Amino acid sequence: MTPALVCEGLVKRYGDKTVVDRVGFHIDEGEAYGLLGPNGAGKTTTISMLVGLLRPDEGSVRVGGIDVDEDPVAAKRLIGYVPQEIALYPELTARENLRYFGRLYGLPRRELTSRIGEVLDLVGLAGRGDDKVDTYSGGMKRRTNIAVALLHRPRLLILDEPTVGVDPQSRVAILDRVEALVGDGMSLLYTSHYMEEVERVCTRVGIIDRGRVVADGTKRELVAELGGTDRVELTLDGDVTAAADKLRVVEGVSEAVVTGSSSIRLLVAGGRHLLPALLAAVGDAGAVTGVEVVEPDLEAAFLHLTGSTLRD
Amino acid sequence: MRALLVVGGHELRSRLRDGTAPLIALVAPIMLATLFGLALGGDDDPPLKATIGVVDLDGGEFPASVQREALNTDELKGVLTFRQYPDEAAARGAVDGGEAGAALVFPAGFSEGVGAGRGGQVSVMESPESPLAGVVARSMVDRISALVEARTLAVRASLEAGVPADRVQVFVEENGAAGPALSLVGDPVAGGRVDLAVHYGAGMAVMFAFFVVGTTARSLLTERQNGTLDRMRAAPVPLWTALVGKSAVGFGLALVSMCATWLSSVLIFGASWGDPLGVFPLLLAHVFAATAIVMLVASRAKTDAQADGYTLGVAFVFAFLGGSIVPVYNLPEWLRGVSLITPNGWVSAGLSELAGTGAGPSAVLGPIAVVTGIGVVAGALALLGFRKGRFA
Repeated sequence: MTPALVCEGLVKRYGDKTVVDRVGFHIDEGEAYGLLGPNGAGKTTTISMLVGLLRPDEGSVRVGGIDVDEDPVAAKRLIGYVPQEIALYPELTARENLRYFGRLYGLPRRELTSRIGEVLDLVGLAGRGDDKVDTYSGGMKRRTNIAVALLHRPRLLILDEPTVGVDPQSRVAILDRVEALVGDGMSLLYTSHYMEEVERVCTRVGIIDRGRVVADGTKRELVAELGGTDRVELTLDGDVTAAADKLRVVEGVSEAVVTGSSSIRLLVAGGRHLLPALLAAVGDAGAVTGVEVVEPDLEAAFLHLTGSTLRD
Repeated sequence: MRALLVVGGHELRSRLRDGTAPLIALVAPIMLATLFGLALGGDDDPPLKATIGVVDLDGGEFPASVQREALNTDELKGVLTFRQYPDEAAARGAVDGGEAGAALVFPAGFSEGVGAGRGGQVSVMESPESPLAGVVARSMVDRISALVEARTLAVRASLEAGVPADRVQVFVEENGAAGPALSLVGDPVAGGRVDLAVHYGAGMAVMFAFFVVGTTARSLLTERQNGTLDRMRAAPVPLWTALVGKSAVGFGLALVSMCATWLSSVLIFGASWGDPLGVFPLLLAHVFAATAIVMLVASRAKTDAQADGYTLGVAFVFAFLGGSIVPVYNLPEWLRGVSLITPNGWVSAGLSELAGTGAGPSAVLGPIAVVTGIGVVAGALALLGFRKGRFA
């Protein structure tokens, strides 16, 4: 079966700076793929090249077997793109927004009317479709943002940070809808700051850092790379920077990152057995008030691969 | 094509919904053109009734002949009036007070000096409030200078040929230099003869074309900031669809604006801008150039507010330099040449031909070609900027 998306060797430079450096991955038909990376890692630039907004300096993108560079219009017909920002006209109603973009996507007028009703229902806004978008909550705007991308029944849905700035309830609602779409066979590319969202929705994950994909695989494969490494979350009162410096030199500690004013995240081989040594290493730098040892997970894999946290 | 219509229809509805289209495309230019026309134009327009003061300290034949010939010149019949003043101070007072638009001063012994081949000097006083009188007075002085030079040369040549000094004046007059024959070469008052209702109507139309297209430029930048431009570009349509669809609406509204101002000028003042077959292509070319120039400006802007500022700046500078606000003949000499780097200047020159001389459409082929060329160059540069700025 033709993959929903294949990108190979994507490069984008701005002057001397290479912001995307030989990025490549693929998404199979019906697969949900997560692209994880901190701010500035090159996620949005990569997505801009995938959806034909930006021409890569090198590399190629094929959507459903169609080369985006050779036939961008046909390729874009297969993509439903949800940008990071709320790309809607606030002075129009949701229905008017949907009608405009639906017509731009070439949906016949009669089909469009019924399809608008369907997608409004799908995102849970059937009762508010005739209200102006600027009267919506953040979550409702996000859902409308997604609805626009679903109008033309795309084969590949690309969601760029779709839950930024929404309340937990709306986030759950959005994730439920996305899971349902994937369950119905839609292919998905999902980027997010929230590890738990990617873990929940995606079956395969690519980790992008400083413009490069540093790892690509299923969650199980990525976590397996850690071997017997655990994630340890330390909470302490005192100088966290000095404590992290001391912890880094403890044998068995591969990473030590300050994650807050009183928290440190560690990657430790055989975490539970090493706890006494860790507590001793902190010493005068602060008083440890909490310790949590977490079995290997995607968060730990990310830290292991990039040496940083997602919210850096 | 269908996608272009979708984008264009959306843009037009937005402009109508927020009220900018009727206000900037119709109400403002028509109202300003009408106010300017009422205040400065019309049949009793003072500049079209130029009064020139004459201080004749010479008392000879030459000043009298000059006035007689000027009044008999076809171009100045019914336009020009001479008023006599005893001295320069009285003439200066009349010019400053608005009684005369300009004044000529013939010094004592002027006719005798010219007759004897010694030449002479005529001075002119002008008022910035009476541009036509100034133009006429200056052109008369130019013509007098040419006559005096010719006469002086004839006298000197006759003397050198051996004609006795006491017979030289009679000899020269008998052989073709009898007195001043004041024919105004070309039409020195062409600019001034365009009714100021036409001048200001056209000027406002030309200037507001930039503003009308400017609302589209602003909308383009706003859409980029809001992300809706990228959403349009991600649709299965060519990348340039949003840019071209929106520009087409700006172009169309600007054309409607110019034609409405033209029509209002005809209906309100009964003024003629000239042969419609010449006027319309000229306006069309200007709208094309204005659209391309504003889009070039927008392609360099980062925010919608910046696009607004750039458009305002370009529109006002071009309007000033190109004679849309102040008639070109009122500008300093060095600025008159500069006016021709603006489409406004060429449109103004073209309309002067059409409305001022009654010339046919062929007379504006040059201005139309130049204005279109300006549009093509600006449009090409705009496209490069838009590609770089991720608009297209």
